[in-house]
Amino acid sequence: MVRIDGSKGEGGGQVLRTSLALSLVTGTPFQMVNIRAGRQKPGLLRQHLTAVKAAAEVGAAEVTGAELGSRELTFKPRALSAGNYSFAVGTAGSATLVLQTVLPALMLASGPSTLMLEGGTHNPAAPPFDFLEKAYLPLVRRMGPKVEAVLERYGFFPAGGGKFRVSVEPAPLRPLTLLERGAVKRRQATALIAQLPFDVAKRELAAVERVLKWKPTELRTEELKRSTGPGNVLWLEVESEHVTEVFTAFGERGVRAEEVAERAAGAARRYLEAEVPVGENLCDQLLLLLALAKGGTFRTLPLDGHSETQLHTFSNFLDVKVDVREVSPEVREVEVRG
Amino acid sequence: MAKAQRRKTVVIGMLGTTIDQGQGPRRWERWRPTVALCQQEDLLVDRLELLYPASATLLAATVTEDIHQVSPDTQVRGAVVDIRNPWDLEQVYGALLDYARAYPFQPEQEDYLVHITTGTHIAQISMFLLVESRHIPARLVQTSPPVGRDKGLGGGGSYTLIDLDLSKYDKLAARFQQEQREGLSSLKAGIDTLNPAFNRLIERIEQVASHSRAPLLITGPTGAGKSQLARRIYALKKARRQVSGPFVDLNCATLRGDGAMSALFGHVRGAFTGALSDRPGLLRQANGGVLFLDEIGELGADEQAMLLRALEDKRFLPVGSDKEVASDFQLIAGTNRDLQVEVERGRFREDLLARINLWTFRLPALRERPEDLPPNLLYELDQASQALGQRVTMNKEAQEHFLRFATSPEARWSGNFRDLNAAVLRMATLASGGRITREDVDEELVRLRAQWTRSTSPAAAGAVDLVAEVLGSELAAELDRFDRVQLADVISVCRQARSLSEAGRVLFAQSRARKQSTNDADRLRKYLTRFGLGWDDVSGRGATEAA
Repeated sequence: MVRIDGSKGEGGGQVLRTSLALSLVTGTPFQMVNIRAGRQKPGLLRQHLTAVKAAAEVGAAEVTGAELGSRELTFKPRALSAGNYSFAVGTAGSATLVLQTVLPALMLASGPSTLMLEGGTHNPAAPPFDFLEKAYLPLVRRMGPKVEAVLERYGFFPAGGGKFRVSVEPAPLRPLTLLERGAVKRRQATALIAQLPFDVAKRELAAVERVLKWKPTELRTEELKRSTGPGNVLWLEVESEHVTEVFTAFGERGVRAEEVAERAAGAARRYLEAEVPVGENLCDQLLLLLALAKGGTFRTLPLDGHSETQLHTFSNFLDVKVDVREVSPEVREVEVRG
Repeated sequence: MAKAQRRKTVVIGMLGTTIDQGQGPRRWERWRPTVALCQQEDLLVDRLELLYPASATLLAATVTEDIHQVSPDTQVRGAVVDIRNPWDLEQVYGALLDYARAYPFQPEQEDYLVHITTGTHIAQISMFLLVESRHIPARLVQTSPPVGRDKGLGGGGSYTLIDLDLSKYDKLAARFQQEQREGLSSLKAGIDTLNPAFNRLIERIEQVASHSRAPLLITGPTGAGKSQLARRIYALKKARRQVSGPFVDLNCATLRGDGAMSALFGHVRGAFTGALSDRPGLLRQANGGVLFLDEIGELGADEQAMLLRALEDKRFLPVGSDKEVASDFQLIAGTNRDLQVEVERGRFREDLLARINLWTFRLPALRERPEDLPPNLLYELDQASQALGQRVTMNKEAQEHFLRFATSPEARWSGNFRDLNAAVLRMATLASGGRITREDVDEELVRLRAQWTRSTSPAAAGAVDLVAEVLGSELAAELDRFDRVQLADVISVCRQARSLSEAGRVLFAQSRARKQSTNDADRLRKYLTRFGLGWDDVSGRGATEAA
């Protein structure tokens, strides 16, 4: 059994989710100790338990220590089964994080699956649905598996109540080479507003226009008349020849619309200036795909804590070699070999 | 999933008809405690028992739906409680008590939390009382609104668990222990006594004194410290704010005739010749405080009857009055007699004894606590220093010399602490420069030996009136001198003997030598019975710790 120190690296929920994902794919059981040690509320929180529960269901796993506040967990998958799953996540966690935990195994399984996920779809502490749909899943499809996601209802924090469906047709993962993003084909800033003053959306777009100099035709507002709770999200899509990246920011009470917009715009500008195909958000998930494909290479920004944690976690389950080469101060080239 | 069965977390809470309010989508921008409690990252509410008045049915439905959305693992069970006026304590408490009584609590399987952030203050107080009285076997949970970034995002804020079992809090438990230690120490007048039986006795007294207002009975030989102990029990209760009134003490042996009734229960002006003005009496003076009646066995029949009434009803009639007065006091009674024997002889009311011996503590004689002589010697030296206004010391050699004698079989300590106190005071007074030397001790030992010999020699029987001490002065006065002298000698022999048989052997030694007596103990018992006495009366050891 693989023994993992949960306090290493980023030391939070990511090391747990990646371990669950890889354990399901490889069938390797693991024991994790020091889960979230040193955090203000150490041990497993509800959002982590949700991920453990979903993974256990998909892998028919034998689990011990899956309790609130637990610092130790053992996870022994017995049989991965494709099929129809539905997970009600609530807002103590994010439905997209649950998907990231179980998807790698399901897209390599022996048969097709469908998933229905209910709960938070747009949660500031997790990748929003738009990122999955527009940036991540197109790369998955390019590597082989056919995975589609359809949003049925938005679920903003804290009300939740969102819903999306995912269909998975498994296929072996092919290595991917992504060294250039090519010409930018389309730029789109979307300010989505639900049950809040519409003015907020307009001010966000004005700020995007000012910071990024995008044209008025590249800016659009979207208003949700029907949603369970209020919400505001701004996402910027940069669709290039070889890749699409998505940058998001969420409205918060007490934070000006302009400031929200500048958060997303700042990240987008940094990505555009660096001339790399893969931004920070895609990087850690792409690393996982390449590691499972046992090959591939891409260029990205300097790796952040999340990506470093991913690399460290891989070594427990996969026999792959990952090289990170500095191309320039702002550009890294990552190469994965089996 | 997990093999070990986790106890389910069950929250019982009132719907906050104001604070949980909200119908439109923007209700999510407000912090609503009941919903927020189910949004906590580190608390999973498996079941929420949501109590609400019938008028809030709509709101209850909204809150239930919202909780289902944010926390699909939480089951919400609504219950309508019959509260029309949420500010009426009787109504609210009554309704919640009914709910609690009917609730099938299963503390083995479920961990209960009572949410007290919602509801009127009256509801919160009622919930608190029900938890405190364990009608609801729960801990309290309080929620607080979000602060900082969490507030901007509309998060659930935080929660705090409050366990009303104060012993679970380390710092408080330490304080309680410290308080108890201080209480024990104060009951022992700060003397570090070593005798285990005595220390256990004091621990028990501390427990009883801090929890009970019922009468206490302290038995033990004369000079064992009954009256000092009563005073310290009072001081402890006073320090712990368990009494508000004064300490009133009386030796019942000093009461005589009409004066007895009047001293205890008071009289009205003109009740009898010489009653020139109203007198409240000791019972009324002790209202709210402690009344210590020493030598309670000396109390006359009328006084006993009236005292019983005063204990049972907290009311009694002053002499000459036709109007009852009230006084609420705690009684501490002292005696060196076996009151059970007094009851059998018809000299003490059985019902009064039953009333006062709920808690009986027998103070051991000094002879029974040899290991406590050293600390008591130091204590008496301190007392002597204070009495003389001069620091009194005793060198090591003198101390050892004194203690060797004090713990030997030769030292009778028939007057117990009274003897020790007098001995130390004499040595301290006679010591030059406040330093007690071996010579001073030798001189004192001569005095003590003489005193104890005298009290056991027939010639000096009158000097320490053993007969009066054992029989009571009234009965003693009725005896012929002939009998009195004989009885005094018998008592003094009994006091020195370890058992009835041993005393019998000494008293009938000549007959025994001539083999004319086969059962000395029986002969002695029969003799004592003529005076209505038993072994416990004459041995000076009093009754064993009863009840």
